Amino acid sequence: MGNANTATVSASNQVKKNSQFKAIVKRYVKNKLAVFGLFLFIVLVVLALGAELFVDYDADAITQNMQIRLTPPNSEHIFGTDHYGRDVFARVLFGGRISLLVGTVTILASLTCGSIIGATAGYYGGKVDNILMRIMDVFLAIPSILLAISIVAALGNGMINLMIALSVSATPRFARIVRSSILTVKGQEFIEAAKAYGCHNVKIISYHILPNSIGPIIVQATLSMASTILMISSLSFVGLGLPSSIPEWGSMLSEAKEFMRYDPYLIVFPGIAIVLAVMAFNLIGDGLRDALDPKLRN
Amino acid sequence: MSHLLEIKDLHVTYRGDEAKVYAVNGLDLTLDSGQTLGLVGETGAGKTTTALSIMRLLPERIGIIEKGQITLDGYDITQASDADMRVLRGSLVSMIFQDPMTSLNPIRRVGEQVAEVLELHQKNLSKEDIDKKVDEIFQLVGLPVERKIEYPHQFSGGMRQRIVIAIALACQPKLLLADEPTTALDVTIQAQVLDLMQELKEKLDTATILITHDLGVVAETCDQVAIMYAGEIIEIGTAEDIFEGKDHHPYTTGLFGSIPDLSKKERRLHPIEGMMPDPTNLPSGCKFHTRCPHATAICQQQEPPFIKNGTQGICCHLFADAAGNRGSQEDK
Amino acid sequence: MEMPILETKGLKKYFKTPRGNLHAVDDINISIPKGHTLGVVGESGCGKSTLGRVILRLIEATDGEVLFEGDNILKYNIQQMDAMRRKLQIIFQDPFASLNPRLSVSEIIADPIRTNKLLKNRKEIEERVVELMQTVGLSERFINAYPHELDGGRRQRIGVARALALDPKFIVCDEPVSALDVSIQAQILNLMMDLQEERDLTYLFITHDMSVVKHISSQVMVMYMGQCVEIAPTDELFEQPMHPYSQALLSAIPVPQLRHDRKKRQLIRGEITSPINPKPGCRFAPRCPYASEKCTGESIPLTERSTGHFVSCVL
Repeated sequence: MGNANTATVSASNQVKKNSQFKAIVKRYVKNKLAVFGLFLFIVLVVLALGAELFVDYDADAITQNMQIRLTPPNSEHIFGTDHYGRDVFARVLFGGRISLLVGTVTILASLTCGSIIGATAGYYGGKVDNILMRIMDVFLAIPSILLAISIVAALGNGMINLMIALSVSATPRFARIVRSSILTVKGQEFIEAAKAYGCHNVKIISYHILPNSIGPIIVQATLSMASTILMISSLSFVGLGLPSSIPEWGSMLSEAKEFMRYDPYLIVFPGIAIVLAVMAFNLIGDGLRDALDPKLRN
Repeated sequence: MSHLLEIKDLHVTYRGDEAKVYAVNGLDLTLDSGQTLGLVGETGAGKTTTALSIMRLLPERIGIIEKGQITLDGYDITQASDADMRVLRGSLVSMIFQDPMTSLNPIRRVGEQVAEVLELHQKNLSKEDIDKKVDEIFQLVGLPVERKIEYPHQFSGGMRQRIVIAIALACQPKLLLADEPTTALDVTIQAQVLDLMQELKEKLDTATILITHDLGVVAETCDQVAIMYAGEIIEIGTAEDIFEGKDHHPYTTGLFGSIPDLSKKERRLHPIEGMMPDPTNLPSGCKFHTRCPHATAICQQQEPPFIKNGTQGICCHLFADAAGNRGSQEDK
Repeated sequence: MEMPILETKGLKKYFKTPRGNLHAVDDINISIPKGHTLGVVGESGCGKSTLGRVILRLIEATDGEVLFEGDNILKYNIQQMDAMRRKLQIIFQDPFASLNPRLSVSEIIADPIRTNKLLKNRKEIEERVVELMQTVGLSERFINAYPHELDGGRRQRIGVARALALDPKFIVCDEPVSALDVSIQAQILNLMMDLQEERDLTYLFITHDMSVVKHISSQVMVMYMGQCVEIAPTDELFEQPMHPYSQALLSAIPVPQLRHDRKKRQLIRGEITSPINPKPGCRFAPRCPYASEKCTGESIPLTERSTGHFVSCVL
């Protein structure tokens, strides 16, 4: 074990540090659909953030103009106008801000909480598991919309409270999924090996167990996206989410329901926006899941 | 003379994601009724693939019989339709798998599972006849008849393997393929199951192909032995040839050297160096040359000939001129 | 004889089940001198794996003592145990389940070093990993490979390298070669024997394979339903097994030699019974060909029949 070895070691060290992250990126990039999903997501975000470049928030998206209500798409209003005469294109763009933000934040928050609760319950088992999961069961037993309604009702209206309500109602599902995938991983011998060389529980969970249960978690996260966006609208509908004047995809959909028969464009455009956002999330999720799995290398 | 089973030049490949896996490469084999053939080799040698080819149970669209012919009791298996195969499986050939835990249906009574095979293959039997036959089969494999109304989880490992054997033998097939039937069992239970199989063979005159990696099991049960390496049979012969004969393929010699021997005092073992070759990218010439201590230039270039000497056949360049090169081989 | 590096005294592990206590490990007393190997054999469910894990405190014992260099480690608190874990390691049976599939070879071997903060510098860790890989005969080119890309033999070498990373003194080997092909099995066994000589390691070698035990052990303990039924120096046990269960185990092994006499082997009947709330007396009695009334009723102590050869049997 002389100098020659040391040289090769440092060389391979260099190679390794780069290759870890690079390999994941490389695997992700190889997946054409995943790249398309990421592209789609970026486009949606850019459009939502850059909405002012195309339209004016107050004039187009908020101010009611009853003279031009329910105009079908034309050169001036490319997506047409709604029943208050507001420009649908502007509302879809500005609505993206809220839907994407609330959706993403809710998913991330409930994912984090759910993972922590599920991981703790699954890993420690016994009483801890019983207490945590029975609480989650109580939450699951209440329809998530009812749960969200009661939380918003208790905390008061507003975007932050809305996100809290949605996160709380989505958390039990994540907790269940994380717990069950942890149960399958935790019995394996490499966990015992880690214990045998002195790994502590937090590190075992975060370093050895969670990365191995990432697949089902990501799938659940992407699936939750669509339901979250729609739930915002349901809350708004009962007057507990955001004021109905504020543009947001879900509430646009539910408002358009009444006019669906004669003015279908009202439902089509926010609908397409939701579909694109959900699709982008699903493709990114699938791509990430595969890229993070070394077994699917190349 | 026609054999019960005749395999000629069998080639099987698996279509993988990236590359083709060459699982079986030109396998020739014959077996007569009442005989037991031990198919020995390491993981990935193609033993199970060979058995699955005979059963025509290779994974659909992935495992493909590229070339060759399998004749079983006069039927050409490679050409038979799926419907024909369903009839043949169970009545002419059946298979026992390694894991008795997973090869039984957990939610059906074991008696029903044995009866199901009979119902499928012997349609003229009345319910009472089937009942009586199930009892007979249970007695045959040494299971208490009154336990036929129990479920698989109520039985221990050895008992479950007896049930699996009962199902396999229910219709008295002419050929039984046993894929590592005792590997998952404890030694004392293994001994019981092996004894049972031996006994049944004598009673029913069933030909058996016993797939195993354990030369000890082979010595206990087999008349014929075929050693497989990288999808080929590299040595074949009677049990006497393999266990007591003088000449061996270097791989066979290595295999024997690797076994921890109870009767020897020596501590160090003599493993075969290296690993099995990658089945997607097999070496040229003799596939064992990368690990063979006797390899020469010719081994890399030419596929070794199959040299037959009485009942024994060896596939190795060392024996190309059988008379001259004898004795250069170490004895086991 | 010098002081044993590892001893257990009255070690017990009972698992609570709805039907009563499962006696997985029941009053085991062993003592292994430094640099030696104690082979533990028995059939599945006899408690041999539990014994290994109880000794390492991966499972907490119900009762008894585990003395490492004379100190009862079962009394240690978490900090003391963390320090102790470096000296006690384990190698597992399944080379597939025992390696984290998400980590590369170098990460797997480096993790014990990082966890115990033995080396801080990344370059030093990397050097150590390569050194360990060389020790266990793994080519350096696999450093960035993932476990699923390697075959069973190489994976088991990673498991050995991981166990060696902390320079342990005592290793529990839980069926380390049972999942491997014979030719690979021999390579790993040779490797383990070489390492033992080089590093003066002490092994507790758990296996169901009597022939493997014969090669690697200096002493063998036969376990049946949580209890030690016979313990003896290896050669003595194989030449003169005294307990009927040991005799049955030995005669059941298929030997790769033809037996021309074709005489029936001495087989034991039945299968292992449930170790939940076992009746007092010899637990092997229901399967034993020599069983009599003397075997039931009270427990049968281990008695020394010749030097170092203990048997628990009334015969």
